[in-house]
Amino acid sequence: MAQFFVETSWLLPIYGLIGALLALPWSTGMIRRTGPRPAVYLNILMTLVAFGHGVMAFRGIWNSGPQELLFSWFEVADVHLTLAFDISVLNLGALELITGLSLLAQVFALGYLEKDWALARFYSLMGFFEAAMSGLVLSGSLFVSYSLLEMLTLSTYLLVGFWFAQPLVVTAARDAFLTKRIGDVLLLMGVVTLASLAGSLNFNDLYEWVKVENLSPTMATLLGLALIAGPIGKCAQFPLHLWLDEAMEGPNPASILRNSVVVTCGAFVLIRLQPIVVLSPVALGTLVGLGTVTAVGASLVALAQIDIKRTFSYSTSAYLGLVFIAIGTEWPGVALMLLLTHAVAKALIFMAVGSIITTTSCQDMTELGGLGRKMPATTFAYVTGALGMVGVMPLGCFWGLRMGADFLGGSAPLLALLFFIVNGLTALNLTRVFRQVFLGTSQPKTRRAPEVPWQMAVPMVTLSIINLLVPLAMGKLSLLPPWEYINWPITVLMLVSGWVGVAIGATVPLSKSLARSLNRTLRIAQDLLAYDFYTERLYDKTVVLAVSSLARFSSWFDQYVVDGLVNGVGLASLFGGESLKYSASGQSQLYLLTIVAGVGLLGIFMTWTLW
Amino acid sequence: MINTLPAVAAVPHPQEPFIQKLLRAEALLPDSETNVLEVVGILKSYGVVLDAYSKNLIYIADHQFLVLFPFFKYFNGEVTLPRLLRHWWHDRINFEYAEYCMKTMLWHGGGQLDAYLDSDDFLQRCRAAIAAKIKSNPAMRGLNALFSDFLPEQVRQMVYYSALGQFWRVMSDLFIDLSDAYDAGKVQTIPEVVAFIKAGLVAAAANPITYSVDIAGKTYDLLPKSAGLTFLMDVAVPYVEAVFFRGTPFLGTVSYNAQAYQISADQSRFDYGALYADPLPIGGAGIPPTLLMQDMRHYLPDYLTAFYQAQGRGLDDVRVKICQSFQKSMFCVTSASLQGLLPYPADTQDSVEQATNHDFLAGWMTRLATSRLDIVQL
Amino acid sequence: MLSALILIPLVGALVLILWPGQLEAQTAKVVSAVSLGLTLVVLLLLGSQFELTTPGLQFEELLPWIEPLGLSYRLGLDGLSLPLLVVNSLLGLVSIYISDPKLHRTRLYYVLLLVINSAVAGAFLAANLLLFFIFYELELIPLYLLIAIWGGARRGYAATKFLIYTALSGVLVLGAFLGLVWLSGNSSFDYDSNLAAALPLAQQMTLLVALLVGFGIKIPLFPFHTWLPDAHVEASTPVSVLLAGVLLKLGTYGVVRFGLGLLPDAWMALAPWMATWAVISVLYGSLAAIAQTDMKKMVAYSSIGHMGYVLLAAAASTPISIVATVFQMISHGLISALLFLLVGVVYKTTGTRDLTVLRGLLNPERGLPFIGSMMILGVMASAGIPGMVGFISEFLVFRGSFLIFPVQTLLCMVGSGLTAVYFLLLVNRAFFGRLAIAPPTATPQLDVDLPRVSWRDRAPALGLAALIIAFGLQPNWLARWSEHTTLALHQPYQGFVVGESRFAPAALPATVAETILIVPAVSPSSAADAAEVYLP
Repeated sequence: MAQFFVETSWLLPIYGLIGALLALPWSTGMIRRTGPRPAVYLNILMTLVAFGHGVMAFRGIWNSGPQELLFSWFEVADVHLTLAFDISVLNLGALELITGLSLLAQVFALGYLEKDWALARFYSLMGFFEAAMSGLVLSGSLFVSYSLLEMLTLSTYLLVGFWFAQPLVVTAARDAFLTKRIGDVLLLMGVVTLASLAGSLNFNDLYEWVKVENLSPTMATLLGLALIAGPIGKCAQFPLHLWLDEAMEGPNPASILRNSVVVTCGAFVLIRLQPIVVLSPVALGTLVGLGTVTAVGASLVALAQIDIKRTFSYSTSAYLGLVFIAIGTEWPGVALMLLLTHAVAKALIFMAVGSIITTTSCQDMTELGGLGRKMPATTFAYVTGALGMVGVMPLGCFWGLRMGADFLGGSAPLLALLFFIVNGLTALNLTRVFRQVFLGTSQPKTRRAPEVPWQMAVPMVTLSIINLLVPLAMGKLSLLPPWEYINWPITVLMLVSGWVGVAIGATVPLSKSLARSLNRTLRIAQDLLAYDFYTERLYDKTVVLAVSSLARFSSWFDQYVVDGLVNGVGLASLFGGESLKYSASGQSQLYLLTIVAGVGLLGIFMTWTLW
Repeated sequence: MINTLPAVAAVPHPQEPFIQKLLRAEALLPDSETNVLEVVGILKSYGVVLDAYSKNLIYIADHQFLVLFPFFKYFNGEVTLPRLLRHWWHDRINFEYAEYCMKTMLWHGGGQLDAYLDSDDFLQRCRAAIAAKIKSNPAMRGLNALFSDFLPEQVRQMVYYSALGQFWRVMSDLFIDLSDAYDAGKVQTIPEVVAFIKAGLVAAAANPITYSVDIAGKTYDLLPKSAGLTFLMDVAVPYVEAVFFRGTPFLGTVSYNAQAYQISADQSRFDYGALYADPLPIGGAGIPPTLLMQDMRHYLPDYLTAFYQAQGRGLDDVRVKICQSFQKSMFCVTSASLQGLLPYPADTQDSVEQATNHDFLAGWMTRLATSRLDIVQL
Repeated sequence: MLSALILIPLVGALVLILWPGQLEAQTAKVVSAVSLGLTLVVLLLLGSQFELTTPGLQFEELLPWIEPLGLSYRLGLDGLSLPLLVVNSLLGLVSIYISDPKLHRTRLYYVLLLVINSAVAGAFLAANLLLFFIFYELELIPLYLLIAIWGGARRGYAATKFLIYTALSGVLVLGAFLGLVWLSGNSSFDYDSNLAAALPLAQQMTLLVALLVGFGIKIPLFPFHTWLPDAHVEASTPVSVLLAGVLLKLGTYGVVRFGLGLLPDAWMALAPWMATWAVISVLYGSLAAIAQTDMKKMVAYSSIGHMGYVLLAAAASTPISIVATVFQMISHGLISALLFLLVGVVYKTTGTRDLTVLRGLLNPERGLPFIGSMMILGVMASAGIPGMVGFISEFLVFRGSFLIFPVQTLLCMVGSGLTAVYFLLLVNRAFFGRLAIAPPTATPQLDVDLPRVSWRDRAPALGLAALIIAFGLQPNWLARWSEHTTLALHQPYQGFVVGESRFAPAALPATVAETILIVPAVSPSSAADAAEVYLP
């Protein structure tokens, strides 16, 4: 029986897709007289089925060991594309995380979007989103992974663009798509290169190929850089990180997934690619470099945000920066540990954020305050999520951060230091936000703040409990280090860095109004961070400007030079200028001319053969 | 630009024609046959929908008091399999919209009701009711001890459930009566519509607003008669303020991004209410009033359905059309309310009273300058 | 059997001409649709008897015609022409279906559409160079008239420009054909892949350049493309669908059939230049598309970009890349037809295609939500999102060309990225935001009241979208028809490498190498020749 569930694991991504398709009658407006909720229930049901099936397959695989499912998809000439799925404990575990969080987020959305009539479209997209992510973690082939990454790009575009009539959404959706697309096109270059060089795109074949290839260093570097470009975009790493900030215009339930499992999917692909990327030390170095810049930069930027969604989205970038460092230093275990624990904690924090937005119609932290006494589920969720995010208690991320610092400490102490810094800064930020939002006196917008309805509260509380149970689950899966192997100095340092962050966060003065500092230097720094080092403006002045100037130039060139030249010189000389008058009589003359020319040539030829 | 020097006082209010119209007992909406048809027709279906909303709000307030998992709160106590199936098929009134209006009112506050909810008197009554409700639930008792404002805030919400339910009860009957009067040929012009509504509002103005719940056989008065809360000033006016004028920013049209500063920090400067809302995005994502328009489409009088059918896309874009008509009707209700709230009779001859009336209306008309007033004139 | 494909539309046209009395638009439509429907049935029959493993021409028909001229009526069908013929009939049907029922001069209009269909079928079927040329020219005049009579405001200019360009194209193609047969001392123009075998390289190259420029005008490639945006902008929607979906393919078909097929030595010599030319076309078309504010012009420029991929793949002439040319032709045919169709609906409903005034068309009640959704699907297909036929075509193009022209292939991929840029601009400008048909600065923003789009108008878009997705999910359905033909076309190109290969596969283990060797055997003479030419 268990084997049946394993063998049918290819169905796991299909469930979400079925849900998406089942929602079509409502999302396309074919059913208009009654409401869209059946689409919602169908999608939740399909996710539940996927989750259940995943659990059964997980139990099956736990006993039997990993399996590979191969389906021949497309064969033409020398191209053999197979759909390969690796069914392993790790992949199914990640899949369970995705379907589980997707399930919770969908139930949460039932409350968050209860007043939204476009529910069916939203759930269609969520089903599609979930399908793409599920397929991605199971994928055993770079071709499948690439295809699904593109699907994720598309569904991110559509989900961010869900409220398409809202002006900032229009630009946010566009930027999300294009930024990711830059990464994807570079990745496609890598995929095409690998396909041409190695023949097969299945990861296992590629790993074999890596052992015997003899690429030139330049080639290896270019290949490595191309391969990491896709994940850089997906994981919102510098310099392709801007979209995540803007994507916060999208609905919160999608943000829950985006900040937890979507970025995880990007990193997951990177982990699969890592044995190939190792061909290029430069690419590995780039991973570490970008990871470092993002981890520190995004942690600082997060501190200066006043928007409650954005501050946490930057923190997502920061954590993924640590993941990049771990992958760049070839510690995929650290990366996975961080990814999985971060996903659970961050999803929870975003749920709490969603409930705050629902209750207060506000995302501006300077206008919030005093919610703690009124909203128990939200407060509980935020606090557990926050504790799970940082190393102050032996909850989720503590173990990941500790492991990172421990493993990297030996070979690269400076990189290990980053884990402490990010931990401290994140703890500081979480404490600051907690004070600003949950403590203090009520403000006009938080004066009346009843707790959210059960559709939102239940997923929050459920996930809070899961969050508290994460260390137990990790222990059960033997992911925690045995007691005697724990590196105590590192562990204590991690806790200290976390608590120092908390202490600073608890004592820094908070401004309720958006008071910019009077000290000029401080103000400049504040603005620099608040506006993300002006990255957006930098883009406007560079890439965007370059492309649009080139485009305008091409258009101008086309209109005046090519058209003018080809029209004017080329044809004028050929037709003696007569044809360019475009008069009615000119047309018929021209007509004649063509036919005469054709017949004439035929005639010449005919006479020649006769001779 | 150059000659706007001192004579500020002499400059007439930019909306002066509307002020004069209101003082002459006319409406903010031009009088025309189709306008009357649209307004009365839509108010008829609105009346039917409000009837359902009102019953449900009062049911929730009375019977779902502090129920943490109110799975069947929209069933008004009749849970049967066919009803459940229809509910799941979403073949039902969208009561979420009523709750949305209730929450908007609660959030914006205003009036004596809001003030009373912060009074010690209310808090004592509230605590007593809570204590009775969670007497046999230790988990909830613990939660209540930890989060002292959690349950009182829920009770305040319950109070608003009830208050809005009572308000809509009156309005629903009024609108149905209006429709009957129109069908009987007694109301034929927009000013008559406004007068009818105004009369209804004035008649109900002093109705007391009260709320009490039964817990374990004992009645707890949460809004006692002694609090002196009345229909017009303590519910109707805050309702108009919260729902017609301020509203909440729609996720589908306004960015919540704190750094974009699209939403004012000052709630009194909100202009997302029914009189300002853009009907075009109705039916789209993130536009809560779609729920109301969807509910109303089921109860349109035949003459209004025929009217919509004859225009543009027929019933394909009926929700937008309903919203446009609804907006017109809300300008009539606003006209009636403003006339009902005038400090002195509209036809007063006392110049001081006239000036007071004028200033009163001028204040409201200034706020309406950015509303859809211009467009409903077309 | 094959002649039926040419004759049925002609018979349809004859029926229309001879139809007694006033010809109702509806009748004309039905007669035309039935004719094209019959050609589809014939194609279906042919397909059922088509032998997939036979690389050469099948169902050949031969009628001696003007023997002294070497002109014979010789038809044949292979894996290259079959898919294109299906697309021709299909898009012909679509364009008849979407034709405005209130056209003036109905009779002439439908007759012309049918003649075009017949001529294109003839061109794809012709197995004689002169016969091809006759059909190639035959299609010009009806198209010219379709633009000149039923086009937009500047139809005269656009139609004349189209005629001049394509007439020139015809002259060059004819010149090349004549030269080819003349120089090789043949007396027959019948298609024969060894036609040019004996010619010296210099002569072959001259002929190939003439062919490339001739067909390059038709495809169109930079800098011969300027007729296309003008023609599209002025043409009515059905004509645009035909033009983009079918007629441009005559150019790429000609390049592959006659250039790649007949002049292998010259082809290999010029291939690097062609690949570079493809890159220029792709990037130029894409960049110019970004700056357009007319939706139709944008789609037209995107055509220029996307047709460049065919040239790149043809230039590389690997087994994969030749099959990729068929894929890209079909995929571009379907996708651009869909896009033009949708732009047509937008234009019909709103009265404008101007991206500076159109906004928020996705609005579910008052806008065009269905058309908008299809548009998103279409542009995503065009941008190469997996799951749709555009992706697998581009993947094959890139995969097939990469080992031969790595730099050019990578640059073409940049073009694929740019596609996303301009089409996203299109969708975000016209379909996102608040519904309005006015510049964003206009006040007040009035409530738009657009006529509704009936299911009748939506159906063809749905059908095309279904095909785009079906071939995207199951590309085997497309590949099986062409695989053997394209492999045969590849025969002379075995051993084709440019310069020293930077990706020498020699070091790979046998198992892997087996699957990736694009060069199974190197015939000594041609490889030596090739190496001489390609080594800089």
